[in-house]
Amino acid sequence: MLYRLALRNIWRNRRRTLLTLSAMIVSSALLILCLGVFSGMLRDLLATATEQYYGHLVISARGYQDDRDLFRYFSDRESLSFLSHTDVILGTSPRLRNFGLLSHRQDSAPAEVLGILPEREKKVTGLQDALVAGTYLSANDHDGVVLGSGLARRLGVAPGAQLVFVTQAADGSIGNDLLTVRGVFRTGDAGHDNSLALVPLIWLQNILTLPGQLHEIAVRTNQPLNAAVLAERFRKRLPDSLEILDWGQMLPEMREVVASYDVSRMIIVTILYIATGLGILNTFFMSVMERTREFGVLKALGMKPGQIRWMVFLETLFMGCLALVCGVVVGVALSLYMARFGIDLSGTLTPITYAGGTILPRLYAVIEPANIIIPAACLLFVSLLAGFFPARRAARMQPIDAIRED
Amino acid sequence: MALIELKAVSKIYRVGNQQVAAVQDFSLEVETGEFCVLAGPSGSGKTTLLNLIGCLDRPTSGEVWLAGQDVTRAGEKALADIRLNKIGFIFQAYNLIPVLTAAENAEFTLMLMGMAKKNRRQRVLELFSELGLDGLENRKPADLSGGQQQRVAIVRAMVAEPAVILADEPTASLDSQASEELMILMQKLNRERNATFIFSSHDPLVISHARRVIKLLDGHLEQEL
Ligand SMILES: Nc1ncnc2c1ncn2[C@@H]1O[C@H](COP(=O)(O)OP(=O)(O)OP(=O)(O)O)[C@@H](O)[C@H]1O
Ligand SMILES: [Mg+2]
Repeated sequence: MLYRLALRNIWRNRRRTLLTLSAMIVSSALLILCLGVFSGMLRDLLATATEQYYGHLVISARGYQDDRDLFRYFSDRESLSFLSHTDVILGTSPRLRNFGLLSHRQDSAPAEVLGILPEREKKVTGLQDALVAGTYLSANDHDGVVLGSGLARRLGVAPGAQLVFVTQAADGSIGNDLLTVRGVFRTGDAGHDNSLALVPLIWLQNILTLPGQLHEIAVRTNQPLNAAVLAERFRKRLPDSLEILDWGQMLPEMREVVASYDVSRMIIVTILYIATGLGILNTFFMSVMERTREFGVLKALGMKPGQIRWMVFLETLFMGCLALVCGVVVGVALSLYMARFGIDLSGTLTPITYAGGTILPRLYAVIEPANIIIPAACLLFVSLLAGFFPARRAARMQPIDAIRED
Repeated sequence: MALIELKAVSKIYRVGNQQVAAVQDFSLEVETGEFCVLAGPSGSGKTTLLNLIGCLDRPTSGEVWLAGQDVTRAGEKALADIRLNKIGFIFQAYNLIPVLTAAENAEFTLMLMGMAKKNRRQRVLELFSELGLDGLENRKPADLSGGQQQRVAIVRAMVAEPAVILADEPTASLDSQASEELMILMQKLNRERNATFIFSSHDPLVISHARRVIKLLDGHLEQEL
């Protein structure tokens, strides 16, 4: 009967209860949505850096990633077969890289030219999805190039145009050859859009006189946030001359951003729930003070302070649980909507490149368990805390004072 | 030994820097099965006395004994237990719990005692029909008349068969006919069930029904009839 009493007490002042409930529901639902959108931005930031260029993990000759020295290469016959025997790896892409000059008629521009195997590269990075003109390299292409939109604009080229690439080869000679533009990509990351060009691996190996040699193998995993742990696991099985780096080591600032996200999430949650909690506390206190006389009667009838405390506590617990369920349902529904459709802001905002990644001009949400569990747990905690003090107050009332009060 | 024994009880309230003696050096014995009234003008200490007997308040000095137990020395939880098991209260303003139905109100103490739902409902319904409340068990207090609410309150007070039933001006909110009926009912319960009643009143009509009249004036025993 205590449960029934508590439940009926909740609905005693219907309007107030509904207002309080809706405040609790709206705050937790919006919080879930906000955190989902923040996670979405963070995921964009990380994905633009790692899934358009770096990969989550990179294997290269020791020291190569520090200065990208042409001569720190390794053979594509190194035994790295262990990479294909694990289910956390979604793709590996062997690459060769050099810097040089791309020219078209009178125009020329410095470029970072990345030799790739198109079918393997597609499994690691997603540049094929960022094309604004033409097509990606095909598997048997031997002199095609896909380049960033800034670079294409600078050279004044479109798919079909011929380019000349000039660079220093490994044997000291000057290497140069013709390329045909196949496609143009735009990622939003100015660095890549203005200087990156993808060419067939064999073509670049020939120009650089490095047949069968690689500079790196980029790896994509299904656990990007766990990359450091995976790197550690693979490190032991690498030949001594090679090293494996995770994106956190290649992009230390990005790692800071990701780490600080957890802190900022807690700060947002705390601020919002302090405000919500004070509101709930106020309502619960009002509802207890209004019933002073009733608590006196209950005590006179022989109800113990502990039972009164429990009854009031149950009221807030019920409300907390109800708000929690509704808040999570609404919050997840909103997040799902934002995950599915999102809001495109590219008309009003330009992309921001930050910490090696790019915040894309769109709002979209990611559903992450923590973004639901943290607001839900905090809501429950706050309503229990907000119920604790009124419950204690009710339990401490003296029956005669309470009954006398009119 | 008497059921209730007050030994030189005083209750002194402090108002500002003045002391008000609501009850002073008051001694009283009440036996099981008595039907007595505390009579006296407003401010004479009736409510204060009932609160002391009902373990809702502690005396400033003196002792209150209930069924051989010195309740002045009992702790908060023990007092709650005594109130639950030994005492039934009937309040002037009925004070039913508005969100509970008549029957739920009436069986509240049995619920606190842990009696099974079926048993307690049966006991409540028996008393309901004895008090003419048949068919009202599922009404909320707001849908009952004052007299009906007061009768539900009586069922609530006595359903657990407490040692004593205390009623502070139980008829004050009722018209004279309802008051008369209530007194006859309480007398009947006193006779048939040997329930001990102590109530307060300043209504001569009500007082005339009592077998023992304890007259109070300014916190003193003025006269006993
Ligand atoms: N909490 C309190 N603080 C101060 N004085 C009090 C308090 N309670 C009662 N008194 C005083 O004690 C005296 C007795 O009060 P009590 O309520 O017992 O009288 P009563 O006989 O029940 O009166 P009534 O018929 O008006 O209900 C009164 O003078 C009252 O003012
Ligand atoms: Mg009084």
